[in-house]
Amino acid sequence: MSATTFDGFRRPDGTVGVRNHVLILSVTGLTGPSARRIGRAVPGARVVTTPYGSGLMGEDAIVQDRALIGFGRHPNVAATLVVGASPPKVASIVAAIRASGKPAEPLILDDCGHDAITLTERGTRLAARLSHEASRLRRERADLRDLFVGMECGRSDPSSGLVGNPLVGRVVDAIVALGGRAVFGETIEGRGAEHLLAGRAADPTVAQAIRDAVARRERAAVAAGMDLLGNNPGPTNVAAGLSTIEEKSLGGIAKGGRSPIRGVLDIAQSPSGPGLYVMDAPAYAPESVTGLVAAGAQVVLFTTGVGNSFVSALAPTIKISGNPEASARLKEQLDFDASPVFERRESLESAASRLLALVLEVASGTATWGEILDEGEEVISRLAPAL
Amino acid sequence: MSWQATSLAADDNVATMLGAAASGGRVVVMTPGGELEIIAREAIALCHKIALVDIAQGAPVVKYGDCIGEATAPIRCGAWVHTHNLRSRRARLAEGQAP
Repeated sequence: MSATTFDGFRRPDGTVGVRNHVLILSVTGLTGPSARRIGRAVPGARVVTTPYGSGLMGEDAIVQDRALIGFGRHPNVAATLVVGASPPKVASIVAAIRASGKPAEPLILDDCGHDAITLTERGTRLAARLSHEASRLRRERADLRDLFVGMECGRSDPSSGLVGNPLVGRVVDAIVALGGRAVFGETIEGRGAEHLLAGRAADPTVAQAIRDAVARRERAAVAAGMDLLGNNPGPTNVAAGLSTIEEKSLGGIAKGGRSPIRGVLDIAQSPSGPGLYVMDAPAYAPESVTGLVAAGAQVVLFTTGVGNSFVSALAPTIKISGNPEASARLKEQLDFDASPVFERRESLESAASRLLALVLEVASGTATWGEILDEGEEVISRLAPAL
Repeated sequence: MSWQATSLAADDNVATMLGAAASGGRVVVMTPGGELEIIAREAIALCHKIALVDIAQGAPVVKYGDCIGEATAPIRCGAWVHTHNLRSRRARLAEGQAP
């Protein structure tokens, strides 16, 4: 693996963006449609909305705010228009984003006589000015120490544990070895291998946090009436060669590589330093990817077996499959074809070099299929009942 | 290139078939340490596992550099490794049995 640099946008807080988005961020369900109208009026701006607002309680309220602020502070975001209904809520999010040194402008329904048309008009002017300012920024040379990648798998098949995930693991090992950051979530994927995952922890506290996180989620699933271990791996897995739950789980967590795990992060929580982290979060791809991106991951490495179209709105999401049939079928979805490894035409090491080169190329501006087709979305997890 | 199976970590004692093996057939295994050649003792299907060494009954079966379970019978080099001769240690722990 030779290339280790990319060209990115240096932010006031020292992070480096691989994109230069202007973000229209709707922080309440009331303002989502206006945020989308503003986004259409200012092409190139990214729109992120949440359908929820006041009424969220406890951990739900904490996760929503942390994720919304995380989007505004995200390295790939140059400036944010914060759209909401209540002045205190918008003010607190604007202040938290501005603390990173980047511009954030408030746009409040309450100040517009609760008229969505007025809100849209004012928002369009504000977003246009933010876009003009952002367009003056230029890319500068950066290296792997400035890179934070998130790892995800969705709609896996036998090629995932054998090719896609180990391949991503190799690239992650290279990024972490050179001072970069990486995070993967999907806590429940660790069941059956939590003792092995804990064995990779950098210290005993992290090891215990990993075991606790998996046990908590497993208990919650059992309490909801699900049987996670009794019939796992299932008949389809066994027919495909998987013999034990440990083997199945290891195939999933192989996308994390073999570096020491520095910590267990909550949903949307940023790591405190370089290295490999796990995020205790739901496994469903839209929620999982959103948590990783809200934590600051600039690029997502997303492995799939048969295909999965979800990508982040803010972080270019590189789709990787080792399945020859899917690679032939999904030419405008899969960014990296790992099927030569599955078909024994290429070694894993050679493919890992190709993939790291693509990661750096995308970090420098090359578009992913998901970006070209505008598949991006952010979906913040809901955890409990609301008022 | 002509390998039929791959192992992902240096201390793995099984490899995964990337093609089907015939009984008595020569299997070239791509390992992190280079190519290894073994003879398949039986037919082994795509994505199923082949033993790279003799594995004693009760010994750990290692894939991805980690223990994926233990041998429930002696496994000879070149044999098919699956649910008939490999069982989870974790699932038995979950059922409250001694490992």
